[in-house]
Amino acid sequence: MTKEIFYFLVFPGLLFAGVLGGFLSWFDRKITARVQFRQGPPLFQPLYDFVKLLAKETILPKYGSPLTFLLSPVFALAGATLAAVFILLPVLGIESGFSGDLLVIIYVLNIPSVTYIIGGLASGNPLAAVGSSREIKLILSYELPFLLVLTSIIIKSGMTINLREIIDVQIAQGANIGSLSGIFGFITILMCVQAKLGLVPFDMAEAEGEICDGIMIESSGSVLAIYKLVKYIMFLTLPALICGLFFSGLELSGINILWSILKVLLVVLLITLIRNTNPRVRIKQAMRFFWVWMNLFAVISIILSIIGV
Amino acid sequence: MVNFQMMIFFPMLAGIILFLIPETLKAVKGIITILISVYILYLAFSVFSAASGLYQMQCTIPYISSYLILNVDGLSKLIVIFLSLFSFLFALYSYGYLKGKQSVECYYSYYVITIGAAMGAALAENLLFFIFCWGILGLTLYKLIKGHNEESSSAAKKAFILIGGSDSILILGIGLIFKLTGTYNISAINISTSGALANAAFLCLLIAALTKAGAIPFHTWVPDYVEHAPASSSAFLPASLDKLLGIYLLARICIQLFSLTAWATMLLMIIGSLTIICAVMMALVQHNYKKLLGYHAVSQVGYMVTGLALGTPLGIAAGLFHLINHALYKGGLFLSAGSIEKQTGEEEIDNLGGLSKLMPLTFFSMLVFALSISGIPPFNGFYSKWMIYRGIIDFGSGPDLVNKLWILWLGLAVFGSVLTLASFIKLISGVFLGRFNQKFAKIKEVKFTMWLPQLILASLCIFFGVFAATAILPTLFNFAPISGAQNLDGLWQSPQVSILILISIVLGFVIYAIGNIGKHRREDSFIGGENIQDETNFAPSDFYKTITEFKLIAFFYNAARKKWFDIYYLGKGFILGLFNIFSACHTGILSTYLVWVAAGLAIILLILI
Repeated sequence: MTKEIFYFLVFPGLLFAGVLGGFLSWFDRKITARVQFRQGPPLFQPLYDFVKLLAKETILPKYGSPLTFLLSPVFALAGATLAAVFILLPVLGIESGFSGDLLVIIYVLNIPSVTYIIGGLASGNPLAAVGSSREIKLILSYELPFLLVLTSIIIKSGMTINLREIIDVQIAQGANIGSLSGIFGFITILMCVQAKLGLVPFDMAEAEGEICDGIMIESSGSVLAIYKLVKYIMFLTLPALICGLFFSGLELSGINILWSILKVLLVVLLITLIRNTNPRVRIKQAMRFFWVWMNLFAVISIILSIIGV
Repeated sequence: MVNFQMMIFFPMLAGIILFLIPETLKAVKGIITILISVYILYLAFSVFSAASGLYQMQCTIPYISSYLILNVDGLSKLIVIFLSLFSFLFALYSYGYLKGKQSVECYYSYYVITIGAAMGAALAENLLFFIFCWGILGLTLYKLIKGHNEESSSAAKKAFILIGGSDSILILGIGLIFKLTGTYNISAINISTSGALANAAFLCLLIAALTKAGAIPFHTWVPDYVEHAPASSSAFLPASLDKLLGIYLLARICIQLFSLTAWATMLLMIIGSLTIICAVMMALVQHNYKKLLGYHAVSQVGYMVTGLALGTPLGIAAGLFHLINHALYKGGLFLSAGSIEKQTGEEEIDNLGGLSKLMPLTFFSMLVFALSISGIPPFNGFYSKWMIYRGIIDFGSGPDLVNKLWILWLGLAVFGSVLTLASFIKLISGVFLGRFNQKFAKIKEVKFTMWLPQLILASLCIFFGVFAATAILPTLFNFAPISGAQNLDGLWQSPQVSILILISIVLGFVIYAIGNIGKHRREDSFIGGENIQDETNFAPSDFYKTITEFKLIAFFYNAARKKWFDIYYLGKGFILGLFNIFSACHTGILSTYLVWVAAGLAIILLILI
């Protein structure tokens, strides 16, 4: 059990994923600033944000359920860290005996979004309710294509749902991104990850200019600090999952460290560029986009991988 | 030697005796019912520890003794233990719920008779004894709803016609089985679904099982029933007992009575997937929380049917485990709904809100049930759904067309699970979270006898989820066709994960302690500087309006509103149409009648000659 606690709290869980995710979030902000001809934040800005928010006064909702409101970020943190452990252990190739398969990963990855929604609704704020309804509709939209891409990968890897075995197959036969079905799958999952991270064009749940941060509107101080930490962790976890599914995983030895970092940075760079070059869409447009186009892409990917291309 | 007939006939007799106690002594009847259910629970434990095998009931009349054989095996033990557990919990709840309430007449008598009949159906070895008990259940189902509100009668009639119709089809199926095998004994029957007669028998039994469990297209009695029945009957019959028995029959069909061929598996998979998706889509747009739960009671059956249809040990174990989990959380959900209804008198989600502070125990238990049914790890619903998904993926490597379509089955099952989550977000937020309505300022938490069953069920949901692989599956699900199915290769370690979640809760509080949460302040919602008015509220029931705006989906919702998919209304339309033909003949003109008589005579003569 001590081993699991170490995985969970230190490596590759909370501490590792939090720090690296914070770094990736800095990278994202720096690139964004460069795209917009700004200077951008210093390297330790994510850390400053977190510490500053912890020190700030927390405002609790007057007409809502304060306990639920306070517990939501905690469960979000638990879910995100669990997802990080389940994804990073196999992706980094650590033999642990503590793992979850792809189905578990799908469900664990949903925990943070669900807790955002419950936390937002517990605040009793009407704008948070608007944000929550958008977030749950977004989950409804991207869940099916996300699953379908995973089934395409499962077929390619010989019906295994173990992430480590999927990576081993790729190491033996070449990365999934190298095939036609992989390219379709990659595009689909990139969009799903964009939506899971709540980034433009799928940030309608938090839409700053429109509904003042939506589900996060009432969060402040320590509550917001934990939410920030959760977002850092997700910012590492989801790109790492893409690397595991399409770029034959990451490795932490010798020159491979450089390659691993480049792989993750490439995925993050793509996400950042998409968010900087697109406007926010309406929720109905997003739903149609995922239900029609992304499902179509995922089905094409499945058919191609059944054919073996 | 366990006294098995006590389990079946003692409650039936006690129920009949309870008719003699006048309705004014309802509390006394309630206490007697609780005591009987405790005794049945005790007997059920002794059944559970008894050796498997066939048992002959003691009977002085020689002729009927061959019908009174009981079949005690792993499956019936599992069903019996949960039947008695739920009977006890819901009897306890009913005591508080029905107190001071004008409701169903002779509720407790029918309740106790139901327990006996359900035990009989679960233990019967002989199909004729089985149909005897099964038939009584249809009658008590009818009686346990009547008189709750004005529309109860029509809902009761609908349930009775659908259930009664399926029962008569079941009798036909049993007759066909007897023609095929020459025996009524369940353990001696094993038919392959290949011949025409065998297929007909299979379909007859399937219709009976699916109607009882409430799967599409025979589900339509469930939502109406739960809307107009007392919450305790909804929890007792459609949510737990009828599910347990319907799926029990389906499991007997799939495991024992028939060996399924590919087309039968295909049929079951289609029914399962359609049930999951269609029912949950209907639940998504409901405004009445009882009806919403009713549609979920239908939707979840789809997972069980899917699991059993897989036919692999893993699939069957998953389907049965989901059945138990479903009965735990759906029973709990109906109890919580009953508590809300009793305290507030409201049945519409829109009229409620902010009850979490006033009814904290109900809120906690309902949240646990909602997360369980949505399949959030590490609750029990997640574990059984995960087993079903694993079963589907393993099933995908088979040779037939139905195996090749595994992605479809998996996709629909997972998508249904997300839709479930969506509709429960609406329920929880609409009832418990959100802004507090001053109208309900004086509401209190329900009485001890009502919140205790809710909390017991909630803790069972957590327990079954956390210790599924280590305690529950090896003890309860370790019988003939499915033993060993629980030995999955350890890719979801629920106990460890639960400890980690506890650690992170502690960690969260540490973070809150470091950040000075003690210095917090309470403020009203900020909505961008405007004043909060009633119009600014965003009602949870409008959450999914966007979905109904898509043309294709809107078409199906419209069709459902016109009751195109309701087999009861279709059947009613058909029969009334026949009536029209016949009534067209009844013109009242005597000369026309004479022509008919003459024509009839001519036909008879022609046939006779």
